[in-house]
Amino acid sequence: MRAYVLSRLAQTALVVVLSLTAVFGMVRLSGDPVLLFMPMDIQAKDVNEFRQRLGFNDPLAVQYARFMGGAVRGDFGESLRYRSDALGLVLERLPATLLLGGTALGLTLVLAIPLGVVSAVHRDSPFDHAATVATVLGQATPGFWLGLMLIYLFSVQLRWLPTGGTGTLAHLVMPSVVLAAFFAARIARLTRSAVLEVLGEDYVLTARAKGLAETRVIAKHALRNSAIPIVTLAGLEAGQLLGGAVITETIFAWPGLGRLTVQALLNRDFPVVLAAVFLISVMYTLINLAVDLLYGWLDPRVRLRA
Amino acid sequence: MRHLKAWLGIGLTAATLVAAAAAPWLARHDPLRADFAQSLRPPGTPGHVLGTDQLGRDLLARVLHGARLALFIGACTVLITAVGGGLLGLVAGFAERWPSAVLMRIADVQLSFPFILLAMTINAITGLGLRNIILSLSAAGWVVYARVVRGEVLSVKQRDYVQAAAALGMSRARVLFRHVLPNVAPSIVVVASLQFSQFIVAEAAISFLGFGVQPPTPAWGSMLSESRDFLYVAWWLAAFPGVALALTALGVNLLGDWLRDTLDPKLRV
Repeated sequence: MRAYVLSRLAQTALVVVLSLTAVFGMVRLSGDPVLLFMPMDIQAKDVNEFRQRLGFNDPLAVQYARFMGGAVRGDFGESLRYRSDALGLVLERLPATLLLGGTALGLTLVLAIPLGVVSAVHRDSPFDHAATVATVLGQATPGFWLGLMLIYLFSVQLRWLPTGGTGTLAHLVMPSVVLAAFFAARIARLTRSAVLEVLGEDYVLTARAKGLAETRVIAKHALRNSAIPIVTLAGLEAGQLLGGAVITETIFAWPGLGRLTVQALLNRDFPVVLAAVFLISVMYTLINLAVDLLYGWLDPRVRLRA
Repeated sequence: MRHLKAWLGIGLTAATLVAAAAAPWLARHDPLRADFAQSLRPPGTPGHVLGTDQLGRDLLARVLHGARLALFIGACTVLITAVGGGLLGLVAGFAERWPSAVLMRIADVQLSFPFILLAMTINAITGLGLRNIILSLSAAGWVVYARVVRGEVLSVKQRDYVQAAAALGMSRARVLFRHVLPNVAPSIVVVASLQFSQFIVAEAAISFLGFGVQPPTPAWGSMLSESRDFLYVAWWLAAFPGVALALTALGVNLLGDWLRDTLDPKLRV
């Protein structure tokens, strides 16, 4: 177990190093970030001085070594725009994203799992059909469009909720619903098919035959055994929530990591982009590790090997 | 229910294809021509069934031409990723040893980063526009094919007919393309159909954020982005491009589900 976790953490480090290398390569090959950031009327000698100061004149290998050396110590340089520590800026925005993502994930699970279980237990009932329609529609509706429509309905027409920003619980409602909608649809569909698969098993028949209450059969025997695919998907989705957050945060002006990344990309503020890439890939791989560890707890037959 | 879903999928997809193909005949207006005297007309205005936008451009024409763009981008990316990712998966599954290991590590790295953010980052760095968004979506999307195809090849390779073909002295390339590829093809088709709507929605999202197709080109994503400034006065600008996008995604999703149930029920993507 310990060897497994250690080797997975080593893999995480490798993945993070490789993704930073890829983004570093792309940034440096794409031209001169300094030129893009300078005012139009600047003198050539000033450009050169700026470039010298930021080290863009050195050989690529030297720049890469310096960048990686800094990254190891959590130093991604200064933001070209805000003139402050890039990683600090990114970390400052992290709690807002975690709040939004956590609320959305909670909402997803609370909605999707009961929906999927009830659909499976009452297969082909009107409820099941209605749930199928809702989940199919939920999967096809783009989140950013759903966001626009909710803003139109609840902010413009009804004036119940703020269009964006942060501060109160009311600000959290629409962004987390939008972020949760797509994932809830996927997880509800998967829960339904996973529970259906298990309901045909002998141990469910046995549990019923020995006179267990139906709720107990479902909760103890069916749901627990169909948990593995659900947890796998939920874990993958938890990672994708980070991607969804990019769009949702932009629509609702939510001051999180996603919105900061979009702004940094628009401004070509590459130190901030690199710091955000670093943080996102670390979080993503750690979530996947947590999912794999959960397997062992859910299904003791799963043996984790290094 | 299942048949209903399949037919709905086929119908919606066909309708989108027809709308895209017949766009210039279905809407008489040029999607790019501004007419300030007619700006922000609501749906139902004579001559403008879906109304007009802030520049007086006909919304119906823009939505229909948007379908062309969306389907074109979807088709190009699916083709590039299916061929590219599929070939890499074939080679990785067949060659094993180091090509396989290297490819799967690259796939792991790529999967450790949200798809949409990856495509957007590539776009922001390499430049915006139609060609670059197709390339960036492809660069972000090939992994799924490579993984699925590699997994399939690993199992097909063990079958007797492949072993027999190899024992008869067939060249490796011939075994790969004549005996392995046809047996892996259904999975590629299913993945492609399930990816298609994902690419269309991703393109719209990226254009919405400003990293994709640029205005005035009528892309659904950039139309929705522009509509945000007029949400208080012109709901139709936000409603119709989104409805078109959602219906297209719905049709292709249902079609993909049906293809999976028919061709490859065990596949989980």
